[in-house]
Amino acid sequence: MQAFLDQLWIARWPLWDGLLLTAGIAAAAIAFGTLLGGIVGVQLAYAPWWLRLPFRLYVDIMRGTPVLVLILAAFYIPAVAGLSLGPTEAGTLALTLFAGAHIGELLRGSLQAIPPGQAEAGRSIGLTFPQLLAYVLLPQAARSALPPWINTGVELIKGSSLLSIIGVGELLLRTQEVIGRTFMTIQFYIFAGIVYLVINIALDQLGKSLERRVGQH
Amino acid sequence: MFQNLTRIAAGIGIAACTLLPATDASAQSKLKEVLNRGKLIVGTGSTNPPWHFRDEKNQLVGFDIEIAKIIAQGLFDDPNKVEFVNQASDARIPNIVTGKVDISCQFVTVTAARAQQVAFTVPYYREGVSLMMVAGGPYADYAALKAAGSKVTVSVLQNVFAEKMVKDALPEAKVDQFDSVDLMYQALNSGRAQAAATDSSSLRYYMKQNAGRYVDSGYSWNPQTYACIVRQGDQDWLNFVNVALRESMTGTTFPLYKAAFERWFGETPPEPKIGFPQEFR
Repeated sequence: MQAFLDQLWIARWPLWDGLLLTAGIAAAAIAFGTLLGGIVGVQLAYAPWWLRLPFRLYVDIMRGTPVLVLILAAFYIPAVAGLSLGPTEAGTLALTLFAGAHIGELLRGSLQAIPPGQAEAGRSIGLTFPQLLAYVLLPQAARSALPPWINTGVELIKGSSLLSIIGVGELLLRTQEVIGRTFMTIQFYIFAGIVYLVINIALDQLGKSLERRVGQH
Repeated sequence: MFQNLTRIAAGIGIAACTLLPATDASAQSKLKEVLNRGKLIVGTGSTNPPWHFRDEKNQLVGFDIEIAKIIAQGLFDDPNKVEFVNQASDARIPNIVTGKVDISCQFVTVTAARAQQVAFTVPYYREGVSLMMVAGGPYADYAALKAAGSKVTVSVLQNVFAEKMVKDALPEAKVDQFDSVDLMYQALNSGRAQAAATDSSSLRYYMKQNAGRYVDSGYSWNPQTYACIVRQGDQDWLNFVNVALRESMTGTTFPLYKAAFERWFGETPPEPKIGFPQEFR
């Protein structure tokens, strides 16, 4: 145990940097993914079929593809088109596209679950469609979308560990580097597992408290 | 799992390549591109001592790193003009095929199948499997281990081929497989195994780290050749790298190769023989 703690102390900064990168990539992916998913969700719920079709295709392709394949595709396909993304950018892109599809789909579900009377009431008092969305529909949808949205955040934290495969120095790769040097395989994998668990439980609790404050009663 | 990843990665890389015609194959040699850029971009890993790993100061070190620096020395007269791109073993060939890196030096085993996808440079090391024992233990060397037959237990890293690999050298020995390197060495230290079988380079490095505690059995087998890889179809670049590597093993830059070899394997490589070039003998 003492040997492990000594090595952990020596490796504290690389591991901390890895943790920050994990959190940063996941945060960027959830932020961009929420923007993207907001557009996608509204289109899926209200657009005419010909406009809906490309969004539906995007969502189904992203949701039907393993994240690992998305990551490898984001890393290699732009490279041959002459646009060489670094591993961190490619990884953030892949996770953003993944998050955008999931958030779009869960927002669509939330929007369609709102009783039609709400939209009718809004229209009858003369709201335009953007006003209707902003004042009536999105606030209600956001409440019911909150729990699965937090869940997507947890998925992204876990999914970011796959980025080690394209050489992003996030928590898992930093952990593997320490194991490579110290041979303390089990100790450091357990340590990384606990760190991921703590982050995700914290995120989950944050979501629950948010839900209590703004959620449906 | 790694097999599958390799296939997925290679598949995506190759599929991506077919989307576009080969653009820069004939336009300009990589050699000119690298010289104009002023630094060499090398793909390698960061988790495998003594080849490529991070030391306690978080610096990338190892024999592959020194080989890359020898090439940079030849290009710029400065071993530090290298940018290392971290890549998993599965990404070695796709990153070359898609032009993410100029060259990869990441203990790539030379095989004819891989030579169909990438171009290999001249080799810089020959890996094998060796047996390590605790110093002063019951068996002095390989002959004694072999003579002891089934009384010997060999610890080895878990692997589909591990059992057969050990039996090739010690047909009657018992084989204990472990799923991590530390457990494999622990089995040897605790006397549960009388010898540990793993890559010769890893054993040499481990023995250097723990001087005096272990001995080599004196027998190695399972040869495999390590070389760097570059993209196919650029003879000028391949030729340059070959010259830089070959001269580090036979000519003017031998001191660099020798220092790296001693640092990471704890052994001195044979000096180039003066007179007739021995590689043509």
